[in-house]
Amino acid sequence: MNNLILAWRNLWRNRRRTMITSASVLFAVFFALLFRSLQLGSYDHMFRNAIESYTGYIQVQHKDFWDEKIVDNTFAYDSQKEQQLLSDENVIAAIPRFESFALASNGPQTKGVLVMGVVPEKEVHLSKVTDKMVKYRLTSESIEMIKQDPNISEKIKELAPLFENTAYTTASRLQLDLGISDKDASKYMPALERFAQFENGSIRMGEPGVWVGDKLSQYLQLGIGDTIVLISQGYHATTAAGKYEIKGIVKLPLPDLDNKIVYLPLDVCQGLYNAEDMLTSLALAVEDNDDKVIAETVERLGAVVSEDQKVMEWREMNEVMVSQMDADDKSGMIMIGILYLVIAFGVFGTVLMLTAERKREFGVLVAIGMQKKKLASIMTLEMLLIGLLGILAGAAVATVLILYGVEHPLIFKGEMAKMFEEYGMEPKMVFWGIDSYYIWQIVIVALMVFLAIGYPIRKIFGMKVVNALRA
Amino acid sequence: MIWKTAWKNVWRNKVRSLVVIVSVTIGIFGGVFAVAVMNGAIVQRVDAALNDEIAHIHINDPAFRDNYDIQLSIPNPEQVLSAIRETPGVNAVTARTQITGMANTATKSAGVQILGIDPDSEKEVFRLYETTLPETGNFFESESRHMLAYMGHELAKELNIIRFRIDQEVIDSLSGKAVPRELLDKLLPFEGKRFKSEKAFKKEIKGVLTLKEQHEYGGVIWEEAWSFRARSKMTLTFLDKDQVQTGAVFRIAGIYDIKNSMYEMSQVLVKNEDLMTLTGMAADEYHQMIIRLDDLESTVEVSASLAEKLPQLEVMHWKEIQPDLAMMTDMVQKFYAIFMVVILAALAFGIVNTMLMVVLERTKELGMLTAIGMNKKRVFHMIMLESVFLSLVGGVVGMIISQALIGVTAKNGINFASYAEGLEAMGYTAHIYPVISTSFFITVTVLIIITGILSSIYPALKALKLDPADALRTE
Repeated sequence: MNNLILAWRNLWRNRRRTMITSASVLFAVFFALLFRSLQLGSYDHMFRNAIESYTGYIQVQHKDFWDEKIVDNTFAYDSQKEQQLLSDENVIAAIPRFESFALASNGPQTKGVLVMGVVPEKEVHLSKVTDKMVKYRLTSESIEMIKQDPNISEKIKELAPLFENTAYTTASRLQLDLGISDKDASKYMPALERFAQFENGSIRMGEPGVWVGDKLSQYLQLGIGDTIVLISQGYHATTAAGKYEIKGIVKLPLPDLDNKIVYLPLDVCQGLYNAEDMLTSLALAVEDNDDKVIAETVERLGAVVSEDQKVMEWREMNEVMVSQMDADDKSGMIMIGILYLVIAFGVFGTVLMLTAERKREFGVLVAIGMQKKKLASIMTLEMLLIGLLGILAGAAVATVLILYGVEHPLIFKGEMAKMFEEYGMEPKMVFWGIDSYYIWQIVIVALMVFLAIGYPIRKIFGMKVVNALRA
Repeated sequence: MIWKTAWKNVWRNKVRSLVVIVSVTIGIFGGVFAVAVMNGAIVQRVDAALNDEIAHIHINDPAFRDNYDIQLSIPNPEQVLSAIRETPGVNAVTARTQITGMANTATKSAGVQILGIDPDSEKEVFRLYETTLPETGNFFESESRHMLAYMGHELAKELNIIRFRIDQEVIDSLSGKAVPRELLDKLLPFEGKRFKSEKAFKKEIKGVLTLKEQHEYGGVIWEEAWSFRARSKMTLTFLDKDQVQTGAVFRIAGIYDIKNSMYEMSQVLVKNEDLMTLTGMAADEYHQMIIRLDDLESTVEVSASLAEKLPQLEVMHWKEIQPDLAMMTDMVQKFYAIFMVVILAALAFGIVNTMLMVVLERTKELGMLTAIGMNKKRVFHMIMLESVFLSLVGGVVGMIISQALIGVTAKNGINFASYAEGLEAMGYTAHIYPVISTSFFITVTVLIIITGILSSIYPALKALKLDPADALRTE
């Protein structure tokens, strides 16, 4: 305790220096925390998007389907097996799917698309595709109506044309794009929502209707009620072709997927590929999505599925994304590493100065009987306190921003948004709440201090009292 | 005089100055090198885009890019071509047709863009042919009675045109390449096996090899197991001019590899005349004229003068075709600067601390100097210069080391093979050649000087506040 008091008092003998050194630690901790929070938050958000709008956490597939996504690598639906899967404690629902590739066309416009046969009611458990239906769209007519309305502010009238043809799944995003504050929302939003209203129909089992991605519909110039032609290769190399009415437009948060997805009712899709009752995958909705629990669930299910099937988890199914995130993660860590290295030198500089200016004092203290060990521990405590001050202050400032950021993610507009989408990302950056990455900063700073303290401790133990007194 | 004094002052307390200098050296070195690696990746991406994928300027019907309508060809192509050739600054031009279709092999299919090209002029505009993988073909050079197609590596793997196999021959040549016996024994069970896909191959190989073996010999095994059967074929199907489904079998005339999986997956090149026969287009019907310029810097001027000459057509330069690419090139420059500023700000704390020590330590001396008539401005100057020297020495050393390392690594590049899949999906190669422009070094030097000046202000003000009489009396 005495040591601690001495160390604390020592700190304030040169207040300025202590403050500057602590401030340098604060600076590094602040940047590192904020940067990590944004990185981790964005990864989580991207994975969540991919998992929740497409793969799900766990899928049961034909064992060769993932490596070779062809219609022949499918398995017959077996309700008994499904019951067995559902009896697992972590599995909430099994969502049957038939996934394949086709060429979609509308007159002269043709494009390769991802065909997804689904049971609309069951998707509620996983992809929640009904929540992603386009609810509003700023068509040229709706922009015209906005311009005609005398009650709408000039600013909104100016902004609206910039977002011509943009589709919205929520009113809040529309509100954001048009720069309407929450305060004004009740004044403008009802009218705007009415003008931009977009009506979708549903797809039902047995009916040849489809939902298509927003970007795909724009590329193929298709609207509700139009017909889309799908051509592909069916089961056992038969020809697959069919005409379907567009019932609705969805906007998925993954631009890549939005650009190529066509949802068909499962049985209609099986009919298209001449593969009645066959499935390419059973996506499983889970109770607990913690990494470890998922791994355990996968192992349990591995014993349940038949020989020609296998169980895959989201990480395997999103390999490319995992690898991208990994590369980004490592490069982020290197940047933070460089920052900490620089700060470590600053701390070392301070230690060096402290030691040099107290050489005589150390000599005196040891001469009058202070143990070298005690002296060293005071020095160590002193530096640890400087580090601690920096960490606490840095973490405090960063935490305020992070907690705010968790509630208010950064959303990009215009050119920036386009650039994000070009890389297959949603133009949105999400913060990650307080988590183990905080601990890492503490560990790093502590390590830094211990490395720096090596020098004065060696000096203290190697000190010749007589020489020190003369310094 | 004052410069010399400041310089000598730096070296009065060597250890302390060296700590600051080394920290600046490390900070600058780390920052500059990290930037060079990032920049290298981006420069390579832009190069690939300009040389292999889009070239410099595209000319087409104004509505063509909306949905690649086969009907929207360029009217009077000969006149347009000669008008383009006459434009100063144009190095080469080639004409292309472009349609959407599907590529099929016996087992697999994929949606593709089919580009009809003229091989001779194509080579003058694009360097794509230089990336042809050895022994896969020669970019339409040899005569053939079949129709020919030139495709991407990723698509070839996807369609099983490229397969992975392990047989006696592979094992023999591996042992010829000094691969240890134990490792070959592990591969023996696979003998005679053809893998269904690259993924399946990698997975099985990973299953039997240790991490170290994978790291050391994974590349060689992959290369040997990689196999392309000469005279492979695929079927391309698409809609002709009258919206009737048509298609034909094409023999592979080469496989290109540009480390951009999206492009490789989607773009198939065939000869113009073959596409014309199949689609029923006239012999000189083209959708796009693609231009390579003498000088990239003249992009905007040349495209403006072309737009003036060809008012009925859409003229777009690469920055308009891929705005994200252009925007990224601009944005990363800012990002690099911000990154360096953050590092320098972190360094500034150390410099301020040291300079503060300098001032406090020399209280008596500074008092003496003022007492004998050195004015405040000169004192301020002297301290500021010392701080600038301190940071600049470290900065220059840091820049020299990074330049040296950039020089060394630029020769063979750095291979981030374990991240290849993710990077290539975004169009970036994993084999990066670090590079940085000279102007970046100038920017960094300026930033270092500014940091030196800013971090001296507080300590120098402290020095100015000293009362010469009091200062002289201090011990």
